[in-house]
Amino acid sequence: MSATKNKPTEVIPPEKGIFKSLQDFLASIKFAIILLVCIALGSILGTVIKQGAGPAEYLSLYSESTYRAITLLDLDDVYHSTWFIALLFLFAINLTLCTLRRFMPILRVDKKVSVPEESAMASMSMNFRTSTNVDDASLFAMLKGYQCTYSGEEGKVFQKGALSKYGVLLIHTSIMLILIGGFVGLVAGFKGFMVLQKGDTKSTIAIGGERPREKPLGFSLKCKEFQVSFYPNGAPKDYVSTVEVIEGGQTILEKQIRVNEPLSYKGIQIYQASYGSTPSFSFTIGNEHVTLKEKETYRKDNFVIMPIRFEQNIHNFGPGVMVAYLDKGEPRTAWFLKNVERFNEKSIQGIPVRFEDVQENLFTGLSVSKDPGIWIVWAGFAFILLGLYINFFLYHRRIYVRKIAGAYLVAGVAMKNKEAFKEEFYKLRRKFDGISS
Amino acid sequence: MAFHHKILGIVTFLYLFLFLIHIIYFAVKKEKIIAFIWLVLYGTLGLHTVGLVFRWVESYQLGIGHAPLSNFYESLVFYPWCISIILVVMKQRLKYPAITLCCTLISLFLMGYASISPSVEKNIQPLVPALQSNWLHIHVLTCFLAYASFVVSFVCGLLYMFTWKSVVPPRETLDEINYSSVIVGFPMLSAGIFTGAVWAHYAWGSYWSWDPKETWSLITWIVYAVFLHARLVRGWKGKKIAILSIIGFASVIFTYFGVNFVLSGLHSYAT
Repeated sequence: MSATKNKPTEVIPPEKGIFKSLQDFLASIKFAIILLVCIALGSILGTVIKQGAGPAEYLSLYSESTYRAITLLDLDDVYHSTWFIALLFLFAINLTLCTLRRFMPILRVDKKVSVPEESAMASMSMNFRTSTNVDDASLFAMLKGYQCTYSGEEGKVFQKGALSKYGVLLIHTSIMLILIGGFVGLVAGFKGFMVLQKGDTKSTIAIGGERPREKPLGFSLKCKEFQVSFYPNGAPKDYVSTVEVIEGGQTILEKQIRVNEPLSYKGIQIYQASYGSTPSFSFTIGNEHVTLKEKETYRKDNFVIMPIRFEQNIHNFGPGVMVAYLDKGEPRTAWFLKNVERFNEKSIQGIPVRFEDVQENLFTGLSVSKDPGIWIVWAGFAFILLGLYINFFLYHRRIYVRKIAGAYLVAGVAMKNKEAFKEEFYKLRRKFDGISS
Repeated sequence: MAFHHKILGIVTFLYLFLFLIHIIYFAVKKEKIIAFIWLVLYGTLGLHTVGLVFRWVESYQLGIGHAPLSNFYESLVFYPWCISIILVVMKQRLKYPAITLCCTLISLFLMGYASISPSVEKNIQPLVPALQSNWLHIHVLTCFLAYASFVVSFVCGLLYMFTWKSVVPPRETLDEINYSSVIVGFPMLSAGIFTGAVWAHYAWGSYWSWDPKETWSLITWIVYAVFLHARLVRGWKGKKIAILSIIGFASVIFTYFGVNFVLSGLHSYAT
């Protein structure tokens, strides 16, 4: 019965109403908080679940069904998943609408300020009358830091901190800037890696991700020198790559790249990211001296050898290398131990092969990236901080001074921070009293 | 044992002493004691500063000179220093000893943990290449001033849950102090995140890499952003705000400790 009775109140709103209410929801602070909470929860998932690992690692941590759920929801790469980016996108929409809605009104030109009527001023919480006759100069001096926004026969209006109402607008716009900057970097930027040994020159970088590929840089990098230094306790102290930028066959510039001191060229940043070493082995083959890297083949007629594995220390006998060779067409392997007399030499196909030494060749790992959105992001950072300052540490207050018969009526209002304003207002009153005495 | 360790040892005892004076205040309720509390707090902060400066100087004598902001021990000692700074900055509002009592207790805990825990490396260590940057100072300073402000906010949120008339300040006051400490902390946290991002751009080649510490600082930032909006736009007050400030501080704690112990990432210097 009651259901039928209630029916008339549940009239389906007209088409425009749905749009309107959807728009209202998208622009609401409620939606903003829901989105922020979702973004926070998504981010937490990304720190709790290991990101970007292989299937084997996930299966060792979770059951198969959990793993299926993880891949289905992209939980192995939360921050680049469609749903997370969609959340950020919705947040951008919400922020824009919310900001427009709340701040369009204040952007309209202030309606003319004037000195309120005597009765209105007298009813303000902070006001006093004074019979002191002050001239304009001393009035301005007393209200130092204030701006006179209205001056007329009947009195004056002063204000301070009017900027504070733009604080939130500035903060929100800056967050938009940061999101835009991030998006620009995502679309127009790249990040790759380059490994160089001393003397190497390369003009491409390796880009990882879903489609690993080589990307040409448009110029070449030559590693002239690479040095690592350590503190006495063994911790790394400094990595320095001395790099030449070569373009069109000409050396454009030379720079030392360190951690925290990247090289910037044509909007591309080159960072010292890592280092490592690969061994190379010197052999005396017959009476010829040969240096081979790992997996590098030495071939002479039908004599073939290739170092395939290096161990720093084999059963406390020191460094050793496993060498693959062909014995009458048959592939075989043998270990050469550098420091053991009986094992550092072997006859292969009648030729004596002697393992002389092993050298460590350092290589430098350079991270190479381009991010055209960076300055937008930096601007966003700076403006947010400015906005936070304006919003929280400035506050808008007005002081009205009205001439009344033979005296002044002074009144003040503050939008917020009323306690601090009260104190300021009392000080002003004491100044007036000081003149009269 | 280096000289600065001795100074910081005395500082730890001063925090204990501060705590005891608070207890005495609540026992006898003499207004003069409050003035004494602030005097001791200033003294403690001064000696604490001396201790940090000595650690800085001694690192130069070891030939590995750097500001004492580079590892877990140094952060544990720096955090209470920031808490004291924030207390001094907010002195006008902190007329109620219950708040300084709780903050002192947290400082005491951090100092004690730094000096007692055997797993915390106390000696001055050289700076790894990634930390050799001037961004280190401003980044760590802003982050820890933010963390310290959130300690005050948390203490207010926590005290709000109790109604012990003679000890706990009035609820409206707690609510206001809570809000004003977040007003200090939130811009500081923002500055900390931004300086970190700029530094990361120069050191790691990317201003944001969703490293666990970065991510958790963002989560913390979101919690306090929600706090501010709930209060300023939706008009939340009282218990709800108190709960939000406790959640916020839990997030701070996780950003500071949890990430180091539970998750690994680029910020692993601190463990």
